[in-house]
Amino acid sequence: MTALTTPSRPDSEDDADPRPLPWRRMAGVTWRQHRIALAGVAVLLGALAVWLWIQGTSVHHAWDAATACHPAFSPACQDAATAFNSTWDLMSIPAILLQVVPALIGAFAGAPVLARELETGTFRFAWTQGFDRWRWALAKLAALAVVLAAAGVAFGALVSWCYQPFSAAGNQDPAVYGNTPFAVVFSLREVTFPAWTLAAFATGALAGMLIRRVVPAIVASLAVYAGLAIAAAGLLREHYLTPLVTSSPNVPGTAWLLGQSWTKDGRFAFAGNPPASLLNQFCSFTQSPGGKGGGPGGGPSSSVNPFAQCLAPHGYTMWTSYQPASRFWPFQWIEGGWLLALSALLIAATIWLVRRRAA
Amino acid sequence: MTALRVPARPDSGDASPQPIPWRRMAGVTWRQHRIALGGVAVLLGALAVWLWRMGVPLHQAYAAAVACHPAASAACQDLVVGFSSSADGHFMGSKGPGGVLLQVLPALIGAFAGAPVLARELETGTFRFAWTQGFVRWRWALAKLVLLAVVLAVATAAFGALVAWYFQPYGGASPQVPGLFENSPFGDLFSLREVTFPAWTVAAFAIAALAGMLIRRVVPAIVATLTVCAGLAFATAGLLREHYLTPLVTTAVSLPGASTAWVIGQWSTLNGRFAYAGDPPLNLVNQYCGSSSGAKSGPPGAVFTQCLAPHGYVQWASYQPASRLWPFQWIEGGWLLALSALLIAVTVLLVQRRAA
Repeated sequence: MTALTTPSRPDSEDDADPRPLPWRRMAGVTWRQHRIALAGVAVLLGALAVWLWIQGTSVHHAWDAATACHPAFSPACQDAATAFNSTWDLMSIPAILLQVVPALIGAFAGAPVLARELETGTFRFAWTQGFDRWRWALAKLAALAVVLAAAGVAFGALVSWCYQPFSAAGNQDPAVYGNTPFAVVFSLREVTFPAWTLAAFATGALAGMLIRRVVPAIVASLAVYAGLAIAAAGLLREHYLTPLVTSSPNVPGTAWLLGQSWTKDGRFAFAGNPPASLLNQFCSFTQSPGGKGGGPGGGPSSSVNPFAQCLAPHGYTMWTSYQPASRFWPFQWIEGGWLLALSALLIAATIWLVRRRAA
Repeated sequence: MTALRVPARPDSGDASPQPIPWRRMAGVTWRQHRIALGGVAVLLGALAVWLWRMGVPLHQAYAAAVACHPAASAACQDLVVGFSSSADGHFMGSKGPGGVLLQVLPALIGAFAGAPVLARELETGTFRFAWTQGFVRWRWALAKLVLLAVVLAVATAAFGALVAWYFQPYGGASPQVPGLFENSPFGDLFSLREVTFPAWTVAAFAIAALAGMLIRRVVPAIVATLTVCAGLAFATAGLLREHYLTPLVTTAVSLPGASTAWVIGQWSTLNGRFAYAGDPPLNLVNQYCGSSSGAKSGPPGAVFTQCLAPHGYVQWASYQPASRLWPFQWIEGGWLLALSALLIAVTVLLVQRRAA
């Protein structure tokens, strides 16, 4: 009988619960399984970064020339301002197209993490290793999320630098752009770019766990991301903080205008632009309401509303609700915060599903 | 020996049995790709409903503004303002990002529908079964690719017609009614119309099928397709499109059909010899236009042209008039379809040549 007892190692009292493998071992596994995806992300962001760097250098040169020019109304300075403003023609469409980058990165990196193992059946091998399967999922998702977030922060900082002149406040030259920082690439900055990338990544991971096939999971996370991004930009963002309301006609050009309403003798008169019948009655100038379609963010902004000046003597008061440009960073952190919380929740749900699933 | 002879059917040379008719492939294609086609239908259908619901009030406001009779009257100006503010603000408006974001649709549809056609069979190994059926394997690949391409082209042509309809008011300025939009038809939406939208979709589909045959894995093939499509679209919009037809050249200060034309380039001549391209250099402006403090009143080029003209400078502009929209549509659609046919032919050739 004594021959059957195996010599027990000094530290293992209970064989049923062996000491788990250390977490850091998962780094190598994650890298080997996802190096192609990570390399693809690096190539994409790297190529875009080179392009942004080249364009950003010329934008900054034009910006420096326009702001350093001294008598601001001389033809030479007007020319420099025009040269700077014309750089927006090239940069406006990339500003919109770059919005799909976080979605693509997150979906293509996140969906295969679990779905590919489930689709090909290799989860039977991976989930029966010494490393518990919920720790296996958590380690992979967390490691990839951290790497993607770091890359996203760096790329977002570059985007911020490249587009910074278009929303630079406090310049003295009225002919150059003073756009609101809320309109120009708000969701592609240092905080929001990694946050949106992580949200897409977590959505992709959860969709992969639920659908268990890679391509449908990618499609599903792209669809969810599109809905979320449109809802955030169209409905949610303006309510992060209560907008300020002013009756002064002088709203800074860098503020984000949310709406205008007019009162006459303390009672609501109309919203938005004044009707032409009123203008014809009180305002002598002829206005041309419809512009040609410009780029998003509009042209050089005029900060004084001309209607307010001619309607004010007749008892009309214009109320403008707006978000001042000084709220840019609070808004960034609010958007980044709820997206990070959402990502953490989605990853937790994914891991809970991994743990519950019958192998 | 006679016992071994099988009775020959009247029409059968045994070495080459009569192939299965092509139309049998329709059912196979449908059963294999119904989820992808359903996804495309849901996506385009949802977008179509959305465009329709936004487009109807837009068109009503536009029609009211155009039909209003004394155009200078206050009531008519109200209608124009109402149309402009409703058309300008929202997501798909002239200042909204919607029109640009729609550009990714053809690439996404083509990549997700095209890459799995061959790559999924190759990745999972089911090609060993599919390619050994009575239907010869190159015919099998050709039938599936052509059927799917035709279905995608029909669906996206309908969607492209809807997009063109939706954006009609943005280019529909009329000389009687001041203040309406007059965007050039060569803008962002050129590649989303009835002809170009299906052409780009089919091109992306063919690229994806070839990438799937070469890479043999679905997700990398989708990524490769998106990359190639992005490069092709940027090259076309930035370099190729303006050369489809020789641009017209004029010295008129205001172009005929001013803002609907697509201005390719501007340069000036002095006494019949080339002087400078684009905007005039600073020293000229300082010399001749020094006192023009009203330089902001118009587009800067026109102001400079006016003050430089008395000194012998003539400004030339090369442009594509808006009337060339349809020739340009067919040129772009034509070469994209030829490219697609070529890529599908290469894919089928690779299927035939590949050792099973």
